[in-house]
This record gives sequence, structure tokens and C-alpha cells, in this order.
Amino acid sequence: MADSPEEIRKSVRIYLLVGLILFAGTVATVLVATVPWLDIGEHGFDMWDCILGLAIATTKASFVAAVFMHLNHEKKAVYWVFGSGLVFAAFLVALIGLAKSDPIHDPLFYGGATEAQIEDKG
Amino acid sequence: MEIPYVVTPRKDTGLFNSKIAIWLFLASEVMLFGGFFSAYIFLRIGADYPWPERTLPVLPGLINTFVLIFSSVTVVFAWASLKLRKWRQFQIFMGITVVCSVVFMVFKGIEYNVKFHHQAVRLTDYTVIEGHLGKEKEDGEYVLDHNGKPIEEDRIRIQATGLTFNTVRYYDQWILELHSQAEHHKSKILLVDDVKATGRDGGEETIAKAGEPLSLELLGRIQKAHLEAKTHNSKLRRAALRQEWSQAKDENPAKRGWELASGVAIDEQALAPKLMTEIGTVDFKVEPPARLDFRPRDIREGASESHLRDDTIVRGEMLASPMVFHNVDAIDFQHMAMKAVEKGMDPMTVIENSWLLKNHAFAREAWEWNKGQVAALEKQLLEKYGVDKKTGLPKREPTATERYRIGWKDFVSMANGVDRGEAKIAIKEEFTGPDYQGREDKHTFPHLTVPREQVRFASKFTPAWNTYYASYFTITGLHGLHVIGGALVLAYYLFFGRKMFESNPEWLANRVEVGGLFWHFVDLVWIFVFPIFYLM
Repeated sequence: MADSPEEIRKSVRIYLLVGLILFAGTVATVLVATVPWLDIGEHGFDMWDCILGLAIATTKASFVAAVFMHLNHEKKAVYWVFGSGLVFAAFLVALIGLAKSDPIHDPLFYGGATEAQIEDKG
Repeated sequence: MEIPYVVTPRKDTGLFNSKIAIWLFLASEVMLFGGFFSAYIFLRIGADYPWPERTLPVLPGLINTFVLIFSSVTVVFAWASLKLRKWRQFQIFMGITVVCSVVFMVFKGIEYNVKFHHQAVRLTDYTVIEGHLGKEKEDGEYVLDHNGKPIEEDRIRIQATGLTFNTVRYYDQWILELHSQAEHHKSKILLVDDVKATGRDGGEETIAKAGEPLSLELLGRIQKAHLEAKTHNSKLRRAALRQEWSQAKDENPAKRGWELASGVAIDEQALAPKLMTEIGTVDFKVEPPARLDFRPRDIREGASESHLRDDTIVRGEMLASPMVFHNVDAIDFQHMAMKAVEKGMDPMTVIENSWLLKNHAFAREAWEWNKGQVAALEKQLLEKYGVDKKTGLPKREPTATERYRIGWKDFVSMANGVDRGEAKIAIKEEFTGPDYQGREDKHTFPHLTVPREQVRFASKFTPAWNTYYASYFTITGLHGLHVIGGALVLAYYLFFGRKMFESNPEWLANRVEVGGLFWHFVDLVWIFVFPIFYLM
């Protein structure tokens, strides 16, 4: 981490630059979501808009974490502590995968089944 | 006592202690917010209703994002100022950070306030109507409830002849409200019969006399007698049961408790003379019968008898109890279309036959306008993107929202005779919603009366409305609490840090670094909240 006055003065310029990148990223997120000619995939919100929006957000978050939170040059202990938190959070999100077998996705359960499907299930 | 490792790092971690502590805390925060985001995704992919997309006002969300990013930059500058031992500069940057947090919360407060006052109703045929309800008026004056607040035109009305209260569960505020309403109609709520009870000594005592008017004091008196009797009777019953068990065990020492259980019982007849009278309910009459109004969420209404949530029974005929919208600012057929598709029906036919379009000319007019706009958009997309050669279908088509939802900006466009998205919207309207009064001259937002039998579910835009708003309020509310907490800590350094700066500036710099790390994390969460809730 920057500790000498010289290094800190240098870092300040980087902080400013990252701030500008974050502003630009935010504008980009809004534009891809609202301007028709920047709309990728189908017309309106779809999977591709979701991927693009989250990719921009993740990039912005990475800048905040790496530069503002000094994760680009931290001690090992911090990586272990924060990394394990991220792994658990990722695990929680991945648990949604189990929802595939949940009855809420079963059209027979929520009423979206066609008559043929209902007959198949007896 | 000296606190160790506040400036110098520990050998094993290489960090000063509070830094490892804040990282442990942030790791737990990642899991907390991760859990909520995971719940959001789960609810969204499993939703059995059209998920609201881009339904929140983007401009306030965007400004709040800028505010948080800006504050992230200023907080890191504040830390750098301390490292360079520049107190005045630190004060300026930290001051800006704290001001940013206040601005953020003010915008959030406005957004919440707009939602809490915005009404939605889902009709029995799944049409959704949004807007603002009118307020009850009599002779040009607002009718006020017992707290002096105007009453919304969304009440279940009953021509009440009588009331039965549960003497334990009755709710004080509702008693006051009933009293106030009866008084307004020049009616009285009077006790039907004498309330008599057998006392401890076996003698009969009159607790209240027939004809006494309803009051909290009266109900309190009856409740006291009832609870005293319950306590007394319960003691007697327990003692009698204990005696029965002892006797049964003495007679059958080899048997286990569960084998004896079916044969052990209290002799109710022998006990009866010793028991005091319990008064679980008490009847009142409304004289002369008067119209009493109830909030729909407080009552389960019936044709001749209705039940309040505190177990009060209201006797009397239910009167017409419509919901009256003074300003309708959105009509949404998306849910209806989804249900139609599920049933294998043509959504357009179902919508054309909806209660709203059949009964309200303005809705029909708005729907026809919307169809014209959708047709123009279809044409535009077809010309621009063409047809898919494999399927023969247009490559791009209007979204379900464009097809089936007429939002407030669409009403403005229609009233001003311009196409969708081309109406001029004032900046203030982007924050606080439409200017109903200012746009009244063009009859932009129509009036609508919805009969009670057409209402499936009604709510303000609160967590009760749907799982989208439940997630929105949970996540943004929790984030808001983090903003307040973080700002308080940073403000403490700003206003009370001078002494430490003079005695041990490095310690203060480390404290600010730790507070700053938390602040960056708050910004980091918002970086995801903004696109997920406002843009997707």
C-alpha cells in the first residue's frame, strides 16, 4: 500500500481516474438499457442485456475493490478472508440451480401446463 | 490499558487489528447480500406473474449512483489527506462524503414516499390498475378518522346493527374508531344485556348494565373480570387434574403415564359450583343502525355478518363499497395476457372482453391509442430488422410491457396528442411521479370507480404488492441502513477526530481507512443494486 507522501500523491491521480471510469461505466449501463440502437439481443430486456449490464457492474465493482479498497496490493490474510466470503456467496447463488427440481418450476404446479402435459401426468 | 496493533501491523497477519476485523465483517456482509441477491434471482425466475421490468424511475437511481461514486472518491481523498497530515483538507473531503450520504438518503426517502402513497389493484380478471385514491368528503369537507386524518375512498361499508367483541383480543384503536364513526352518524353503541358474573364467593355480581355505551373503560372492566375468572378457574382445574393423576398412579403403580392418560379426567360437574363466570365475548347494539366503514385489510366481509382481525363480529348488511381512484395513472394487462396464454386463449380477445374495457370509455380509448402505438412500433422494427428467414417471423417484436401496459407517461403522451415516449416530462415528475393537478386541464389521468366485487387484491406499492417490491424494499432498505451507519462513523471522525489527529495521526488515518473500506463496500453493493432493480 502507498505509505510515503510521494506514493500517496501518485495514488490520488489513480483514484481520480478510477472515479471517472466508474462514472463512465454508470452512464454506459444506463445507455445500453435505454437507448434502442444499443439494445443487443432481442428488442427490450433479455438475457444478453442482463449479461452486458452485469458485466459492466462487475467491472465497476472490480475497480472499486482493486483500487479504492486496495485489493490490488493487499496482504494474504485479506485475500483469504474476503475470498472465502465470496466463495460462500457464490455457493448461495449457485444453490438456485437446485430450484430446477423445485415444484414452482413445474407448469402443472402453477397452472401453465397445456392439456397434453396434464394428460401425460395423468 | 494500551490497545495493541492500532498502528503497527501484527507479525502473523501483516495488518493492524482493525483492518483484519473490517475485512472479516465485509466477508460476512458479502454473504448477507449474496443471500438476498440469490433470493431475488430465485423469486424472479420462479415468479408466476409478469416481473416488473424497468419500473422504477431511472433518473433518481442514476443520480444516487453518481452521488455514491463521488463519495467513494472523496472518502479515499480524505484518507490520503490524513496520510499527508493535512487536517483541513481531510475535513473538506470527509464533509463532502457525509453530505453525499445525506443527499442519497433524501432521494431514497422521496422514492419510498412516492411508492407508499401509490395505489395498485389487481382485478378478478387480472387487470392491474394503478393510481391515487380519492378521500371521503361530506358537504365539501374531508371526513376525518378518530386520529384526525382523511379517509381514503377504499372502505368496506356495513350498515351495522350490532357488534360482538372478544373481551381479550379487542384492539383499542379500532374501538376508538368505531366510537368516533357512530358519533359522526349520531348513533350509539350500547351494551345489549347486563353482564353478570359469579364471583369467588359464589355470589352473583353485575359487572356492567344493559344500555351502557361502548368505551375502553367498559371493555377493560369486563376484560378484568374475565381474566380473573380464567386465572381462578385454571388454578382449580389444574389442582383437580393433579389430584386425579395422583389417585390414578396410586391405584396403578405399575402402569406408565401414557397407559393411564385416557382414564384421567376432571369431574366437571363436581367442579362447576366453584368456578367463576368467564366472559369471552360481549354483545353491543348500534342504535339507530349506522354505516360503519372498515379498511379492507382489517375485515373479512360477509353479506350479513363480517369479522374483524381482532375477532370482533360486525352484524349488518354490507353496502356498496367501491374503490374510487381520483387519478388512474397506469393500466396493465400483462398479467391478464399471461393468464390467457396459460389457458391457451388469445390474449387480445381476453383483453378486449375485460371488465375495464367494457365498462369504461376512457380505458377503451387508451387501449385503442396503445394498439396504434404498438402497430407503429411493430412496423418500425420490421423495417429496421426484417424477418427471420427460418421462422418467417419478425426478428424483433414489441415487448409485453409495450404491448399490454399503458403507463403514466403514455397517458401524458395521449393527452398531448403525441406518440409514446415523446411527451415532455418535467424533472420534478421524474422524481415524484406525475403532476396530477398541473395536467388536470387536459384530463390526462382519468377517474375510475371499481366495485368491490371486481377487486382481487389491492395494496400500495409496498412489500405486500408483490415479490419484486418485497425484494426491492428489503435490499435497498438494508443498503440504506448501511449508508446511515457508515455516514455516522465517518461523521464521528470528522467532528471528533481532531484530538486524535494531534496525538496520533497515523491511528486516525488507520481508523478512516477502515471506515472508508466499509463505505466503498456500500458503494460496491449499490453498483449491483442499481442495474438489477432499476434497469433489468
